[in-house]
Amino acid sequence: MSSNRIRILLAALLLIALATLPFWATRYMVSILLLICLYMTLASMWNLLAGYSGLISLGQQMFIGIGGYSLAVLSMYHGLPIFLSVFLGGVISVLLAVLISLPIFRMKGVYFAIGTWIIAEALGICFSNWGYVRYGMGLFIQPAYRLSMSTIYYAALVLCIGSIALIYLLLRSNLGLALMAIRDDDRASEAIGVNIFRCKFTCFLLSAFITGMTAGVLYLNTIFIQPFEAFGIGWTVKLLFIVIIGGLGTVAGPIVGAAVFVVLQQYLSEYVGFNLIIFGTITISVIFFTPKGIVGTFQEKLGFEIFPIRRR
Amino acid sequence: MSCILTIEKLSKSFGRVAAVHDLSFEVSQDEILGIIGPNGAGKTTLFNLIAGEIKPESGKIMFNGTDVTSAQTFRRCRMGIARTYQIPRPFVNMTVLENVLVGAVYGGGMGSKASRKKCEEVLEKTGLFSKRNAFAESLPLLDRKRLELTKALATGPTLLLIDEVAGGLTESEVEEVLKIIHSLRRDGITILWVEHIMMAMKRGPDRLLVMDFGEKLAYGNPDEVLDSEEVHKVYLGDDED
Ligand SMILES: Nc1ncnc2c1ncn2[C@@H]1O[C@H](COP(=O)(O)OP(=O)(O)O)[C@@H](O)[C@H]1O
Ligand SMILES: [Mg+2]
Repeated sequence: MSSNRIRILLAALLLIALATLPFWATRYMVSILLLICLYMTLASMWNLLAGYSGLISLGQQMFIGIGGYSLAVLSMYHGLPIFLSVFLGGVISVLLAVLISLPIFRMKGVYFAIGTWIIAEALGICFSNWGYVRYGMGLFIQPAYRLSMSTIYYAALVLCIGSIALIYLLLRSNLGLALMAIRDDDRASEAIGVNIFRCKFTCFLLSAFITGMTAGVLYLNTIFIQPFEAFGIGWTVKLLFIVIIGGLGTVAGPIVGAAVFVVLQQYLSEYVGFNLIIFGTITISVIFFTPKGIVGTFQEKLGFEIFPIRRR
Repeated sequence: MSCILTIEKLSKSFGRVAAVHDLSFEVSQDEILGIIGPNGAGKTTLFNLIAGEIKPESGKIMFNGTDVTSAQTFRRCRMGIARTYQIPRPFVNMTVLENVLVGAVYGGGMGSKASRKKCEEVLEKTGLFSKRNAFAESLPLLDRKRLELTKALATGPTLLLIDEVAGGLTESEVEEVLKIIHSLRRDGITILWVEHIMMAMKRGPDRLLVMDFGEKLAYGNPDEVLDSEEVHKVYLGDDED
């Protein structure tokens, strides 16, 4: 069998296993895979910015907060259907992204990173002073109680598979071609016609949309949302960990990274306070010893790409 | 003959260095204008200004009757201005074909079928077709220079700025470059060509512009210009040919 057919067969088996998971796995296992799917999706979106578009965002939590609060407010206060609220959370995140892009895209490198972080912090402060969302006390998203774990799991699975497919197609599209060129030499890419701003802006909006929706599903699972947690930098720190250990700028990196992260988090949850030190130590070791992460290193050693994006 | 490019009193300095100073000239449709001058004369800076990668302090650049002085680089490319870099800037982590595709898709605004065809055509023209699936990182300098030209051609330019492609080539390779450049002119591309090799500058261009310290030193028919007194003085001691 050719490697391509093996690949398709393995993917099909994995897909069937994941699609039938609630029927044969324990509730605990479903809850773990649910988390892996969500973190994987969020991490892929951070990777799309940092790994492919050269945009280091430290403010992904602004879309997580907006997505979560959109879900809470729309489904509870306005009685909209739950999954419509999740979708609108993505739409509102895009609107926010458009709004902040004017100042944020004038900033380069470190300034972009800090700028996005500051906006997320400011939003956290706004929400904690806003009576409509019960200040810093937070909200219980009551409509979410009605959903079963497997419903939430399927929503997460759809987002996860959808986002992998989206990124894969995007990288094989003309936009992906331009992103690779920009990553190699931005000036030379502009000289042969690439509109750098437009490419990065497109990725920024896409990342905001999916992150906002994923946050909705995440809070269906968490049920309780509170501003300093939702808009906290902790989210981006986790995503950074996932992408770096998995492999920055690889499609499969966030998948592997998210699995490692969620499993580690389960084991380390007993050692509150220590776990950040351990995560930090692992991240720094990876940066020093295998800067391409797990997936990047394997791909280099085996000369094999899980998601090939070359044009022939 | 109509005028495709007009440079009007263009100036750009870096600190105290006036890289291009009060420079004016015109380029007619379909001509090959050679540009020579010692190192540091401002030739590359002039190309950067025309391509839009740096902005002038004063002066004007007209392309096909439109003022493009403040147009963005990628827009100028889409309007038909393409350039090569003196020191090649390939996209090293991409294949040769992918490198060229960027130009066809973005600069040329072509759909996927048309861009493929265009790429194959220009790769054939510059002799890189057999290496289309090699990573640009693995190319030797000579092929990198070819790639510069191929990428620029893929954008479908009407004005092509060539910055020293023939440097370091053997005589027969220079012949080949001359052939390619003449065939481009037949395709209707106007060319500005910076080169140090005198043999190429005598036989390639229709007219010659000599620059020194960012200014126009001489301008006109290649044979006359190269025989003129001032040009000899400037090139005295320079590693000619
Ligand atoms: N980016 C830059 N920063 C500072 N000085 C520059 C820069 N680019 C060019 N120069 C200076 O401008 C002058 C003209 O350079 P250049 O245009 O590269 O000349 P040429 O291509 O004719 O050899 C030189 O003195 C060079 O040192
Ligand atoms: Mg030069």
